[in-house]
Amino acid sequence: MNVSLKWLSDHIDFSDYSMQELDDLLTFTGIEVEGIQSLPDHLVVAEVLSSDPHPDADKLSVCQVDDGSGSPRQIVCGAKNYKVGDKVPLALPGCVLDAGDGKTFEIKEGKLRGVPSLGMMCAAAEIGLTDDADGLMILSPDLKPGTPLSEIYPAVFELEITPNRPDCLSHLGVARELAALSGKKLTGAAHHADSKTPTRVAKADEITLSTDSCPYYTARIVRGVKVGESPAWLKEKLESIGLRPINNIVDITNYVLMEMGQPLHAFDMAKLEGGINVRQAAEGEKFVALDGETYPLTAEDMVIADGKKAVAIGGVMGGEDSGVTETTTDVLLESAWFVSSDIRRTARRLNLHSDSSYRFERGADAYQVNGASDLAIKMILDLAGGTAEDEMIVAGEKPDAPAPVELDNEYVRSVIGAEISDETISGILSSLGLSGSGGKWTIPSYRLDLPRPVDLVEEVARVYGLDKVPSNQQSWFSPKSKADESYDFARKIQTTLSGLGFFETRNLKLISEAQLSDDRATTHRGMSPIRLKNPLNDEQDYLRPGLVPGLLASAERNQRFGNADLRLFELGRVFTATPKGGEVEHEHLALLMTGGRTTRSWADGKPSNLDIHDLRAALEAICPPGLNLVPVDDERLLCGCSIEIGRGKKSAKLGLAGIVPPARARELDLGAPVMVAEINLKKLIAAFSDELKYAELPKFPGSSRDMAMLVPADLAAGSVAEFFAAYEEKLLQSVELFDVFQDSSGEKLPADKKSLAYSVTYRAADRTLEANEVETAHAKLLNSLKSRLNVEFR
Amino acid sequence: MLEELEVIKTDALTAIGPVSDESGLEEVRIGFLGKKGRLTAASAGMRDVPKELKKDVGQKLNEVRTAITTALDEKGAALTAARDAAAFASIDATLPSRPLPTGGLHPLSLVLDEAVSVLRRMGFALAEGPEIETEWHCFDALNTPEDHPARNESDTFYFENGKLLRTHTSSVQIRTMQKEVPPVRIIAPGSAFRRDEIDATHLSAFNQLEGLYVDKNVTLADLKGTLEYFFREIFGSKTEVRFRPHFFPFTEPSFEVDLKLHATGKAAKWIEIAGCGIVDPAVFSEVTTKRGDAAYDPSEVSGFAFGMGIDRLAMIMYGIPDLRLLIENDVRFLGQFS
Repeated sequence: MNVSLKWLSDHIDFSDYSMQELDDLLTFTGIEVEGIQSLPDHLVVAEVLSSDPHPDADKLSVCQVDDGSGSPRQIVCGAKNYKVGDKVPLALPGCVLDAGDGKTFEIKEGKLRGVPSLGMMCAAAEIGLTDDADGLMILSPDLKPGTPLSEIYPAVFELEITPNRPDCLSHLGVARELAALSGKKLTGAAHHADSKTPTRVAKADEITLSTDSCPYYTARIVRGVKVGESPAWLKEKLESIGLRPINNIVDITNYVLMEMGQPLHAFDMAKLEGGINVRQAAEGEKFVALDGETYPLTAEDMVIADGKKAVAIGGVMGGEDSGVTETTTDVLLESAWFVSSDIRRTARRLNLHSDSSYRFERGADAYQVNGASDLAIKMILDLAGGTAEDEMIVAGEKPDAPAPVELDNEYVRSVIGAEISDETISGILSSLGLSGSGGKWTIPSYRLDLPRPVDLVEEVARVYGLDKVPSNQQSWFSPKSKADESYDFARKIQTTLSGLGFFETRNLKLISEAQLSDDRATTHRGMSPIRLKNPLNDEQDYLRPGLVPGLLASAERNQRFGNADLRLFELGRVFTATPKGGEVEHEHLALLMTGGRTTRSWADGKPSNLDIHDLRAALEAICPPGLNLVPVDDERLLCGCSIEIGRGKKSAKLGLAGIVPPARARELDLGAPVMVAEINLKKLIAAFSDELKYAELPKFPGSSRDMAMLVPADLAAGSVAEFFAAYEEKLLQSVELFDVFQDSSGEKLPADKKSLAYSVTYRAADRTLEANEVETAHAKLLNSLKSRLNVEFR
Repeated sequence: MLEELEVIKTDALTAIGPVSDESGLEEVRIGFLGKKGRLTAASAGMRDVPKELKKDVGQKLNEVRTAITTALDEKGAALTAARDAAAFASIDATLPSRPLPTGGLHPLSLVLDEAVSVLRRMGFALAEGPEIETEWHCFDALNTPEDHPARNESDTFYFENGKLLRTHTSSVQIRTMQKEVPPVRIIAPGSAFRRDEIDATHLSAFNQLEGLYVDKNVTLADLKGTLEYFFREIFGSKTEVRFRPHFFPFTEPSFEVDLKLHATGKAAKWIEIAGCGIVDPAVFSEVTTKRGDAAYDPSEVSGFAFGMGIDRLAMIMYGIPDLRLLIENDVRFLGQFS
């Protein structure tokens, strides 16, 4: 909400405060100062002395204006709405104006179609005052040329009022709050809320309330008004907070709204047919509001109707045809109280938010409805003349005033944790307009946010200030949680991988439907991706079922930035739905490698590309011993493998690894092979045994034998490894594959064969092996290999 | 005999002198000390030496052997040293390094880890909860009015089954209180989602760090001390911290926390960094109804809660101007934090 300092000074005198002090005071009231608007320098009042047609442009005029300097200034102007003698805002050279979108532009001396122009005459929108961009802003004729506009429209605070404090949505409300915090007294018109006007209950043909959304409605009739322009002081007040003046009657209702926070509406009596009926709208009823738009209503909306038609959407906006215009002579002034949630529903559904709905939906003070009407009527009589009916016509009942609240001061101290005296507590609550004795506090009707004792504690804490509360420092012992364990585990993985040259990435959890097909390394079967009901756009409408889509997108982006050699990983949550529609969330880890194994340098002028074996090395670094990549048939990957710890049926299956099909990689402009792997983190944690145990180091030397064997070219090394894992020989200590050779030309080896060379080590824990023991064991091994895997030894 | 030995010594030393490689030296050694070497042959002549001379000749033999051996060893060492020197002479230690792949943690992980480390020292344990949440956990239980704007489909992502993507990590407060009894002292880092278009200061998903302490007699003074300590550990012991009254549905009283920080070369200013407050009794009442026991009876326990944006913390700590950098994963950006 915009609050004008000048307007605020009607109620409270802050002339002894600097802007910064006032800003601080508001801030510690709990009202955030989002900005302070002030008009720019070099913006002054100018009087138009003459206006002649531009010699070369039909739409432009050449004006001489009085800028207060004593000599006329020439300005070329395109507007038509002014006449000679009008006072207008003039931006002098050097004036910096807002150009929208965060940009500014500076006024300079220049020429328009060959005619010198030494400044710019401005519309209200151009100087950022109101949204009125139609023609020049015409200022009060009483202003002296040369007066800076910032004197007429002084600084305005843009305040963020939290939703629990609708009572601060007016100048009086803010002044009241500031008075409580500063200890200053409210001056002037503090008691608008009290009404002295006699009331009478409406007759059935005057006002009917046939909806629960409007518990209380008042109308006051003024006849013989003269609708016209508002006086300068009223226009300036409204303009200063960004409201465009309309006519004196409408301006008065806006003034009272901004002054007291009570929305009012003025109807042209001549346009009402019959009495006021506040009712629910008919389903499908159409309403043309004063913004010119047609709104389709439902039975949930409330309208103010006359005998024939709706004339306003209650509490939200009046109608196009029933408002006050220049021809209006008799006015019916509505001041009413509506149920906040009902107004909110309608405003939200129609996306029609007005200053009125904003206040009603947050909660207006029912006990100032009559007073607000009084203030408006008094102003109408002053500014537009006419005769008011003596009585205010009322229908319905005001809602109950807020109930008193019992407060134990011990409770206050126990929540705040400070020794605040009873006197201080009472002093704070009294300053806020509460009255009480014996711990029972009466709540002012405008404070709808104080139904409970804890709400009063908040008031005390807020005004007392947390700066005066002691800082209590203590620590505790907390047992380690499951979340602690997985956090620590993840940290280890992060550290290991970053040590291996991987960068940790964080990708968006929302992905597009197209990206779903990049989910290449997850293993959830029968599970489906989860779609949002209300996505923002079709780039982000699914929750990611795996991490690879995000990693591929990051790889593509990096490629575009010129980073071709990539080792990336991500640790994060993935989401899938079960066939029954339940959601499952898992923590996953995914790796992506592509490009050169190392950066090109003097040491390696042509680094080779990373391959699936590098991926395996990285997996071994983060997995427990016993890692196996077991080939699986999965069209999403080339060389797709299941990542397993252990062998056979008892192995722990952690996830999938493989190569992204080159066709997809090329679509992403990734030229080198792209290896990916994805692992379920919980399964990885579980695969680690609980404890690490020392195993005795060998005391006796081992004996090694090398062997090279010819095997079918398509025999996986993993099958040989499987053979060795299952092979029973107590003396066999380890087997290392040290050479793989294949010759597709068929010259050195048959083309359908390959050679695998292993170094086999034999060792006994308790003695040095005799040569014949080793020979016997090795011969047995060779025989077994021959018979089981059909190999030939070279 | 003695003269012969002296000649062998002189000959050996003369032969060793000009030797320039290890194989030449080995030849010399064999020539004098080998099985058929001259000294070996001479020592075989010992048996013909008259008894009375044996002592002198024996001494001389040892002296000559020692002299030759020493000269061979010294020459050998000199040759090795020369070979070593030659072997390393061509090395240029000023060449750039042989590259190792460089990796690193994401800046958000670094910031989060720093925050988590401090809070763990203060006795908080980690907690977590689902990101796909029920409306009850995300809003109802947190005392959010039925028609609160945050519940709008324009602001929050929903699923067809009525669940939603949590809009804050505060739902973990509720998850934790459902499972654990007081005292509860948890922090919960995690993602939250709001239906915002992505720009320099908004992401549809962001990262928060939630904290909750529930016990008997928890006060605002505890909250103040905890957060002051936390932020001073992170930003330095002299960091100014202020608590500004604010409004959140699930805390009463509520505050926003500002730190006085300065960007490089700029004047220090107050920067909003966290929200916090005393847990609203209405939250405990909701939890109590759900649990069906009195563990969180609002008249028995009290608590404080706080929450802050990790993305914002990272932006402030590292001077990152645009949130989108945090999700682009440009390795040139990531490399700045390794």
